Amino acid sequence: MPGPGKHYRGNRKSGNNSGTTLASVARETATSLPADSPVLAIFKEAAYKLNERQDRHERLVKLSRDVTIESKRIIFLLHSPITKDSSENTLTEAKDRIQKLINGPIRSIGLELEFSPAHLHSRAVTAGFQEYIEARTLLSLMADKRIITYPECQKELDYFIADDDYQRPLVTMLPESDYMLGLADLTGELMRKAINSISSGDSEECFQACDVVRHLYTGYLGITGSRLLVRKLSTTRANVHKAEMAAYALRVRGGEAPAPLLLAPGPADWETPRDLSDDEGYY
Amino acid sequence: MCENHVINTIFTDFQRNMDMDQEIREVIRNICKDVGQISREATTLLQVIHHSDKGIMAACVKARDLFDKAREGYARLKEAVPPNDYYKYQEHWRNMTQRYCFLIALTVWLETGILATHETIAQVLGICPLERKAGFHLDIEDYLNGLLQLCSELARLAVNSVTRGDYEKPMQISKFVMELNAGFRLLNLKNDHLRKRFDVLKYDVKKIEEVVYDLSIRGLRPKPESVL
Repeated sequence: MPGPGKHYRGNRKSGNNSGTTLASVARETATSLPADSPVLAIFKEAAYKLNERQDRHERLVKLSRDVTIESKRIIFLLHSPITKDSSENTLTEAKDRIQKLINGPIRSIGLELEFSPAHLHSRAVTAGFQEYIEARTLLSLMADKRIITYPECQKELDYFIADDDYQRPLVTMLPESDYMLGLADLTGELMRKAINSISSGDSEECFQACDVVRHLYTGYLGITGSRLLVRKLSTTRANVHKAEMAAYALRVRGGEAPAPLLLAPGPADWETPRDLSDDEGYY
Repeated sequence: MCENHVINTIFTDFQRNMDMDQEIREVIRNICKDVGQISREATTLLQVIHHSDKGIMAACVKARDLFDKAREGYARLKEAVPPNDYYKYQEHWRNMTQRYCFLIALTVWLETGILATHETIAQVLGICPLERKAGFHLDIEDYLNGLLQLCSELARLAVNSVTRGDYEKPMQISKFVMELNAGFRLLNLKNDHLRKRFDVLKYDVKKIEEVVYDLSIRGLRPKPESVL
């Protein structure tokens, strides 16, 4: 950018008259502005608005992280039971903890966003919502043998604020895209469950899980027009593949051994599928 | 199988909502195309400030007419966007709105020499300046972005008005942009697009300062009384 003063500026800089730098001029102007300058007033207001927005964003990110952590723990919990009896207890505990999530951090998210445009901060909370949906759908699948639908999930997030001076309904808006993305993650959990169930000797569960994964994958194949979902599709495909391989192994080789045998030495036999188990750490 | 049925419902519902979403986007895109065209017209129109002093006021009047048309466009846009989904679709009109903020701020400055407020610009566009739970409004970040564009344009104007022999305008511009610069320093900007645009401001300031410097050392600077 050859400015008109390029040559002279060079002189100024090399000269000993370099006391007035640009920054000092700016500072001077800033201090010389009267305190009630309309321009400054405009910017003070803007600064206030921007700060408020950023602070809210940070708080939401924090809440979202809380939701994520607790959801991951619930998923871990749902994976842990080995026997039928312990699974009853686990389900009750998981339901309890989901309820606590709904009434705790997720409610706070709703409160935080009560007076803000819904989608302004959607990026701050999407991770938490996805993980929550993953936990919530896994729970519904294990407890009721069906996947909870989006409207049902959204309905669970309707609150009524009664403790304040004025009572009002409150909704934590759950974007449908987050629901679908969380559901895509569910295939990973189901794949893991299918593989785990081999080692616990519950072949029926393995086939069921495999079925659900397959149905979900079929559904995702039919969806057009969502960039985010397309990105997750390859992971989903890998999950289907792993779950189907697990079911296949169980069918082919499972027949050779009686069920009780599968219980103990299982892991050694199924080394390969277990290693394929993907990615997500439990915490 | 019941499982299958539930999953099917989930996916068909989602697909239906996606399709609806696409339709809304289509409508918005079309409106934005029209309104964006007007903004380009206004931009071209206001370029006259760089080569003709006399044309400025006439250009402002014409620009005002175009803003009236844009207001009609924004009214249609307001209709098309679901009240709760401003930020969901914002990307469609974001650039355009920033452009309008710039154009209106420039026009107001040319007319009166003062900084257009957030409210003024929102009023010209016929939209609400306040960010609320629902409804179409003028995003504060778009407003600030428009002001930054204004500074770049004024830096150019400072150079060109000297070429025209107008030594007073650069002084006026310098004072104005310095004020804005001081104002922007009050903002606590994150590392986002606004911050990136803000980083350009110092080059604009520098350009204007160079013009003022050139005028000063040659004694071309008008007497202080005439500036103040």
